[in-house]
Amino acid sequence: MNKLILPPEDLSNEAISKRLTTNALNNVNNGLINKKNLVYLELNGCSGNIISLLNGQNPDFEYAFTSMVNILYSNSLMVSEGEKAIAKLMNALEGDYILAVEGAVALKNNGLYNIIGSWKGKPLTGLEAIKLLGEKASHILAVGACATHGGVSAAKPNPSESVGINKVLTNKKMIMLPGCPVHPDWFLGTLAHLLLYGEPDTDNLNRPLMFYSTLIHDRCPRRPFFDRGIFAEKLSDKTCLFKLGCRGPVTRTDCPTRQWNGHVNWPIGDDTPCIGCAQFGFPDAMAPFISYDTTRVVKDE
Amino acid sequence: MQNIEMLRWQLNSLVSQVQQDIYTLSTTNQSSITPVILQRLWDTTSSIHFIGELLVNQALNCYQPISDHSQIISVNNTPKNTQVPPTTPQSPNQSIPHLNGRNFTIGELANFNGKNGNPAYVAVNGTVYDVTNNRAWAAATHFGLLAGKEYSQEFASCHAGQQSILTTLPVVGRLYNE
Repeated sequence: MNKLILPPEDLSNEAISKRLTTNALNNVNNGLINKKNLVYLELNGCSGNIISLLNGQNPDFEYAFTSMVNILYSNSLMVSEGEKAIAKLMNALEGDYILAVEGAVALKNNGLYNIIGSWKGKPLTGLEAIKLLGEKASHILAVGACATHGGVSAAKPNPSESVGINKVLTNKKMIMLPGCPVHPDWFLGTLAHLLLYGEPDTDNLNRPLMFYSTLIHDRCPRRPFFDRGIFAEKLSDKTCLFKLGCRGPVTRTDCPTRQWNGHVNWPIGDDTPCIGCAQFGFPDAMAPFISYDTTRVVKDE
Repeated sequence: MQNIEMLRWQLNSLVSQVQQDIYTLSTTNQSSITPVILQRLWDTTSSIHFIGELLVNQALNCYQPISDHSQIISVNNTPKNTQVPPTTPQSPNQSIPHLNGRNFTIGELANFNGKNGNPAYVAVNGTVYDVTNNRAWAAATHFGLLAGKEYSQEFASCHAGQQSILTTLPVVGRLYNE
């Protein structure tokens, strides 16, 4: 991975993520690497990350989850229901698996605020499930804002006493993929990297550098407006959205170059400020998302 | 006015860049990166020169009208007159600058909350800083903190060992206890 890929190879984000995932698939097909098991656990969340993942491209979600890994459990995607579904979750404990977790862990009343199923006639709490599966997982991916730091589930006043999974699995190493939701490339790219090369390089907050190393502000196409002090006064203005409360200057992701919904657009490209959804402490620390009563001098009409 | 403040902000950034480059040059032993850094130093000092000329021209052109205007403004108790003339950024080892030496009480500081067209000021360790155009203070808020308040403890807990952040901020005065 230290070798540079020189031109004329395409260095766009799509091209790089496609190379990574195609490589992983080829090596799986050639038997060079073993297909690993994947358990996708959803705790106290909104299923937003799995919906975002369905938007994945290069590879698409279905191909990734059938050809790159054996998906053992996903409450949103599996056919089984009730105790039969939880039985599959328990069977996963027998072997080796990668654990992806979406949603926060609700701690209140010993986890009773988040029941993910029932096992042997008793309710199975998210707290029990994460402890059980987290201990034995070969790798853990915390997917989305809630799993990484509590996110929306832990927003004030946090009635369920939700926390990120690192607060429960204190002695386990994990890869953090914050975002509300996570970009499909961030999850699938990290997964492909895990299969191909092992754990990717991460920063001091355990975020993969290949997706989370750059400040949005530093790659923002509207940066020249910021540098010249030309600021938007309302949504839909085509200039810098800083005065309205843009959190691009404090958020590290590759949104400006990667973009969303099949790489076609992103919030600032649609004239609305970044709300810092991939920053730790979101949403409370990123509020207010929009502010019209600002430092700008109001001109009389 | 806003443009002059922005130019000062740019000057501060450029000086920080120069200081960083000088530091890098004095510590590195990789001869391969030296030409790159020297080139950047050259470019940065050119930019400083350009902005300096720009500010001098502006100051010469509007010196008289602004001094009249500033008297009116100071009666209204807004700090706009403190933005002209441009000041040289302070290097980290210098004490609090004498320019812009306005004193604030906590109550006065609360007016500069970045709302209704007011600038956004915050105080750390007795010094009042202007964060109106600081990129980490969009909409005069910063990780749940509102402008117009004293944040010595918050700064110490989140930015321990990062005093350099403060040296890049424009100083507007001192905070004193009544």
